[in-house]
Amino acid sequence: MSDKNTPFLTIDHITKWYPHNDGRIHLFRSREKRSWVKAVDDVSLTMNRGEVLGIIGESGCGKSTLGRILVRLESPTSGDVLLGGRSTAQMLREDRKAFRKRVQIVFQNPFDTFTPRDTIQKILMRPLRNYGIGASDEERLAMCREALEAGGLHPTDEILKRYPHELSGGQLQRISIIRSMFFKPDLIIADEPVSMLDVSVRADIINMLLDLAKKNNTAVIFISHDIALTRYISDHIAVMYLGRVVEYGRTDDVIAGPRHPYTRVLISHCADVDPDQARDSLPITGEPPTPINPGPGCYFAPRCFMACEGCRAAYPGRVELENGHYVCCSCIREE
Amino acid sequence: MTKIQKALRAIVSDKQLLFGLIGIAVLLLIILFQDVLETHDPYDYGPDSLAAPGINGHLLGTNKLGQDVYSMLIAGVSTSLKVALISSLISALIGILLGGAAGFLGGKVDMVLSELINVFMMIPTFFLELMIIAMFGNSITNVMIVIGLTSWASNAKLMRAQALSLRERTFVKSAIVMGETRPQILFNYIIPNGIFPVIANTTMGMSGAILTEASLSFLGLGDVNVISWGQMIYDGKSYITSAWWIATFAGIAIVLTVITFYMLGDGLNHVLNPKHISGGKK
Amino acid sequence: MEHLLDVRDLSITYLNKSRNVQAVRHASFTIDRGDSLGLVGESGSGKSTLAMGMLRILPENSIEMTGSALFMGKDLISISHEEMNRLRWKEIAVVFQKAMNALSPVHRIGTQIEDIYRVHEPRATKAEIHDRTMELLRMVNMPERVYRLYPHEMSGGMLQRVAIVISLLHSPKLLVFDEATTALDVVTQGQILEEVVAMEKTIEMTRIMITHDMSVVASSCRKVAVMYAGELVEIGMVRDVLKQPLHPYTQGLMSSFPSLKGEKKQLRAIPGFLPDLSDPPAGCAFASRCPHCTQQCLSQKPVLREMPDGRRVACHLVGGQKHE
Repeated sequence: MSDKNTPFLTIDHITKWYPHNDGRIHLFRSREKRSWVKAVDDVSLTMNRGEVLGIIGESGCGKSTLGRILVRLESPTSGDVLLGGRSTAQMLREDRKAFRKRVQIVFQNPFDTFTPRDTIQKILMRPLRNYGIGASDEERLAMCREALEAGGLHPTDEILKRYPHELSGGQLQRISIIRSMFFKPDLIIADEPVSMLDVSVRADIINMLLDLAKKNNTAVIFISHDIALTRYISDHIAVMYLGRVVEYGRTDDVIAGPRHPYTRVLISHCADVDPDQARDSLPITGEPPTPINPGPGCYFAPRCFMACEGCRAAYPGRVELENGHYVCCSCIREE
Repeated sequence: MTKIQKALRAIVSDKQLLFGLIGIAVLLLIILFQDVLETHDPYDYGPDSLAAPGINGHLLGTNKLGQDVYSMLIAGVSTSLKVALISSLISALIGILLGGAAGFLGGKVDMVLSELINVFMMIPTFFLELMIIAMFGNSITNVMIVIGLTSWASNAKLMRAQALSLRERTFVKSAIVMGETRPQILFNYIIPNGIFPVIANTTMGMSGAILTEASLSFLGLGDVNVISWGQMIYDGKSYITSAWWIATFAGIAIVLTVITFYMLGDGLNHVLNPKHISGGKK
Repeated sequence: MEHLLDVRDLSITYLNKSRNVQAVRHASFTIDRGDSLGLVGESGSGKSTLAMGMLRILPENSIEMTGSALFMGKDLISISHEEMNRLRWKEIAVVFQKAMNALSPVHRIGTQIEDIYRVHEPRATKAEIHDRTMELLRMVNMPERVYRLYPHEMSGGMLQRVAIVISLLHSPKLLVFDEATTALDVVTQGQILEEVVAMEKTIEMTRIMITHDMSVVASSCRKVAVMYAGELVEIGMVRDVLKQPLHPYTQGLMSSFPSLKGEKKQLRAIPGFLPDLSDPPAGCAFASRCPHCTQQCLSQKPVLREMPDGRRVACHLVGGQKHE
């Protein structure tokens, strides 16, 4: 694809600001003076082909917005995403369809992913026809059958005839994954793909997604609030708070040895299924605020148990630890 | 099979819809057996002028020119239905396309189209209709087109609201990601999922169309070459004291037909409510 | 010792025109004073129906309830509506998943609390109610100014805490949490669970936690009852059941949960689907999905049998190895 030094995916200083509607009319105010909701604020990440990157954080931390920017359901306020060294903004301008084929998403709500008016057959055939995958309709139908069969959805003829509301959430989510994987994408965003499903079917959906991703050498960005689950499936983890990545590293490094005070709080508050794992939760005050003109200084400082004077002056830069693990915290010294 | 059963159950469960459908069925049967039902040729100027009901085999009497009122009523059914159907079709088509495009595309397109919709909702439509008919002539085709062109705004407003909420739905987002084009999304997702309130509204609008045609005819702007109920009232209004039957029966026919369409529309509104037929869980 | 709540052979059926869904079948369990029970199951397990049925907040003309639920000597299933209304909120309170929706957006929290308080204590003074509320607000780590706020000025976590405060106004004997922390963020959920557990050390409270999340039960309950397809399949101490589940369904459920700290075992799903509850199978409800299913499981319904460690399991295979 490109030379070795270029990472497969580079998220390059992505920001997404929404104008904050505070009920007043700002006709003559300049851009700088208006207040902004900084949903995603200067996020940079890289990942390699075939890897799984987990993005965790609480609701409102911007992880879903980031996912939607990556598939270009929204465009960033500034910054760019590079896929194999090429700007996706440019790719989208040049050939929209080709870009869509390379970057796919699995949504959180499987019950709303498909139009209620069409049968599964119609839903699955549409993208195949659209992209001219398969020579004839018979061939495409055979592809659908094969994919459904491989995904454990049988009898396939029966499923193809059904409408979305006649299937379970687990079945729908599998179909959603199958449909995205028809394109053999380079990158797939999984935005909380199992949070609306029953626990006993989650594992199958996750395993199916990972198997198909491995087969097609697809990179997966797994967006979730479920830290335990993310730990199971991702190679690296990025922790987000108020639109910023506060900690990034190999999964085991981050989960077992979190360094950023927010990550530590988050993990310490996670209930485990093991009743013997006594939770020793770290103190945190207040609720996650909305990211309206946050800062200056560390966004987490007002709630942080480690906060000191320096934290409130400027947003802390990256502190590099071993194995590419880094945190953005001014209370942590480089090792 | 199950779909038909579901539809039947929905019809039976909603009294308004049931009455509306029965009414429409009766009207259609009248059109189908028009020749059998008519006792006289409604266009034939008979020898009896202003005959009272019952005289010389004229069930509901005759008008000034000796036309049989009963047969004219029968002939008027097809005129009214034609006007209702075609003008509503025009109104629905424009409303769905413009409203759908405005809501789905958003931005500048929405701004321009929304203003257009507002303008059409605000201007006195009947006055506009009068102007156009006065300028372009009063053939029944013109009447239908004019009614269609002036009544689409409420349909567009409904469709726009539907499109605005539909475009935030996951299945529209997923269609975008699956590489479908905007027209594809508009026609495959937005319109099929948002059309039902518009259908219900259009059906109710049909009664408005019938009334408008009658009003135009009443003011002497109807098509004099076609028998319509409005025309009959217009003709009969000079004789309302001496030959009451000319206008009265036509008036009753209009009231009944309007009620039928209104019931059908309201019934459809209940049954086609997205809450009743929505697919997935929320 | 007398049980606070003694549910015996409770069955709840939803009556529809075409089919009757047997959402809860022959459920029997007890809760002692001061205890905490997690009622765990997936969607369709009947866990919420069971609790709502006991509280008599299901539409009574479209359900059929048999069996009994003795609460302080009164059968909740057969007492009159008036009597139930007197018990509800005063003796038994519920906190729902989206409790915030129950609050009026145009009234201050304090005003609403006063109104709710006076339903059962019509002559209570403002100061009395205020003091009681302050005491409870402190327990859930909330500032006093909450009393003067409107619901839209508060976050979901704060509103859920307000709901808990409201449910505790009259110190009910029994508190039911129906997925009360499900919609909240990790940190907020953790905080609230901790506050609830801490609260129980100071005031007497008996609690039922209805949830689909084993980790909530693991961190906040003493006992757990696992439901599957309308039946209780395993009841026992959290420590026993979660550490060494005996019923194949509980085992399957536990191995579907990822652990935060333990080794990364392969996550396994339970294959198959829930049985049709309008025509439940003759044998074990889990038989069609069970990896150890035998002929007996298909034909004969297993009953809850007591194990040496005190827990009760409804499974033929476990019952056969009683003295393991």
